[in-house]
Amino acid sequence: MLTLRGKLAAATILAACCPLSAQAQDAYVVGVTAAMTGPAAGTQAPVIEGMKVYIDRLNAKGGINGHQVKILIEDDQAEPSKAAANGTKLMRQDGAMIFVNSSLSSTYGPNIAESKRANVPIWFAGAVCPKEASPPANPLIFCSTGFDFSYDIPAGIDYIAKDSKNAKVGLIGMPIPISRIGIDAAEVQAKKLGLTPVDKEFIAPSTADYTPFATKLNAAAPDWSFAYGTWVTEIKTFEAMRRLGWTGKYLTYGHIQAEDDLARLKDDKLTVFTTNAMFRDELPVHKEIREAMAQAKIAYPATQTAEGWLSGMVLEAVLKKAGWPATPEKILAAMESLNLDTQGLRGGPLVWTKENHFRTKQYYRFYRWDSAKQSIARIDDWISVDVK
Amino acid sequence: MTLQLAANVVVLACIYALVSVGYVLVYRVSRVLNLAHGELMMAGAYFLVGSSGLFNHDPVIGIGMAVLMGLLMGIVVYLALMRWMTGKSVLAAVLVTIALGILLRGLVVLVFTAQQFYPAAALGWNNAPVPLPGGVRVSMASATLVVITIAIYIALFLFLRFTRIGIQMRAAGQNPLLAAQRGIRLHAIYAFAWGLSTFTASIAGILLALDSGVDGQMATIGLKAFPAALVGGLDSFIGACIGALIVATAEIAAIQYVNPLLSDVVPFVVLLIVLAVRPWGLFGSREQLDRV
Repeated sequence: MLTLRGKLAAATILAACCPLSAQAQDAYVVGVTAAMTGPAAGTQAPVIEGMKVYIDRLNAKGGINGHQVKILIEDDQAEPSKAAANGTKLMRQDGAMIFVNSSLSSTYGPNIAESKRANVPIWFAGAVCPKEASPPANPLIFCSTGFDFSYDIPAGIDYIAKDSKNAKVGLIGMPIPISRIGIDAAEVQAKKLGLTPVDKEFIAPSTADYTPFATKLNAAAPDWSFAYGTWVTEIKTFEAMRRLGWTGKYLTYGHIQAEDDLARLKDDKLTVFTTNAMFRDELPVHKEIREAMAQAKIAYPATQTAEGWLSGMVLEAVLKKAGWPATPEKILAAMESLNLDTQGLRGGPLVWTKENHFRTKQYYRFYRWDSAKQSIARIDDWISVDVK
Repeated sequence: MTLQLAANVVVLACIYALVSVGYVLVYRVSRVLNLAHGELMMAGAYFLVGSSGLFNHDPVIGIGMAVLMGLLMGIVVYLALMRWMTGKSVLAAVLVTIALGILLRGLVVLVFTAQQFYPAAALGWNNAPVPLPGGVRVSMASATLVVITIAIYIALFLFLRFTRIGIQMRAAGQNPLLAAQRGIRLHAIYAFAWGLSTFTASIAGILLALDSGVDGQMATIGLKAFPAALVGGLDSFIGACIGALIVATAEIAAIQYVNPLLSDVVPFVVLLIVLAVRPWGLFGSREQLDRV
């Protein structure tokens, strides 16, 4: 048993060793591991930049519940070992009350394990949702990211089937787990809806030339092509197919870069479906995002930061509800009852429950280029899918 | 279909050949295996991104400036880094190139961020398909790449065989001590070789960027071209050309007839087979291998 002098000495050593934990008492500490550089950075970094701008603005206005929000961002370059080290540092040393992952799915395992050990909620923002966030959800795992293959694939293939019955479909994916599972599921779904899958290509991200894949796809003469992978693969394959003279229709999931590329390519038969409203919709929140990003002078186009802005909104709602002083337990309780007004960025509110840490409804909008109007056109308004 | 496949092989082979010629140039003259070559190629593409914005989106000035900066980059790399590795072990020099590659990847993200850039759009350059006989189509950038690759190989052949500096470069590569004793300024020759290497790499990077854009992952194409150089023999320009053709043919055959998932693996399978049978490459020399 320690004497009073021993206890004082231990307290002094602890105080000296853990300065950041002490700081944590003055602010909400949010730990983030993200692919800020490396192969996934093009999709992940703008999300975190957008979220940071949102939180910086909040802090400038006095923070949340009178306390600043301190976001500690560590780059993991989409490498599992770095993400693991980041998670340990942020949750154990830096005293993060909530841990955010915005990286490749290969980084999830070690981060989820560390979140469980530290009993800190882990939230996937801008990164693909792990199945543990869907009902029945793992108590500590949450996800606000727009896309999820189990809902995206049926939504996309249904759209093609409604547009063209008995169409021949080419399927395009990448040799990464989510894309492969998604495209395999698309093949099954297409057959179920009377479509005929005529070719299926998995294209590596290191491909120097997409033409050989496009040649094979074009030879199968699809009426429609459906792509589900990273944006670069989705769009480069489309461009290669067009260059070879293919004139069919192309549907792909619209990642954060989609709006800029629709405007760049100006192709009426290129359709994207997305869970976030595009800036062409000119919502008040879009104006706010544009102004905030211009003011913050971030290097990414504002059109790529909506997902990050939404993540900032989620964080604000959760921390506000958790109150002060915040603990991981209080934050967890706040997350389990999130009901966020997305201000039109999504088709409805983002709702998390005790059992469902993904959302109760998933919404999609479809967009394409309209040559007549020389602008991006919305084809279908929000289509909602119940999440069970 | 068959003709289109043949065209695809030619385009991919030219990409690999244009990249691998840089590996051969540096290795042949200075005995250094430049593992930052892919990153230097990527840097060339980013020079185009920078210059396309700087010079009022004028394609001629933009591309010209990017190519010039590519040439200077190699000279600077040699003078600032590789020169100091003279007399050190080959392994140390190779490690320096690995470090250079990591540094360049980081710098690119710091300066340009991780987003995808399309310099062709910025320059108003239309990468339209070029119709060829037999219903074959290739993009304008790919067609340009094929022509430029052939031109560069011919020019290099003539340069190394018939010009004074070219002959000095060959001499420095074959016997640096004797070359130095004959009055050849080795550092100048090595710097020029590095400059030529990054010049060709930059052209490859620029044309790839004009074809399908550029991001921080372009450097991996350099890695894919590396087997082509090794298959042909690291000290042979003809080898690099033939190696590129073999690797490209194998890759496209795998995509078309076996499984597209194999496309990433096939170049290295070809490399393993060739190394097992002929470790110095198809056109390389045994003596050069011993030096490695």
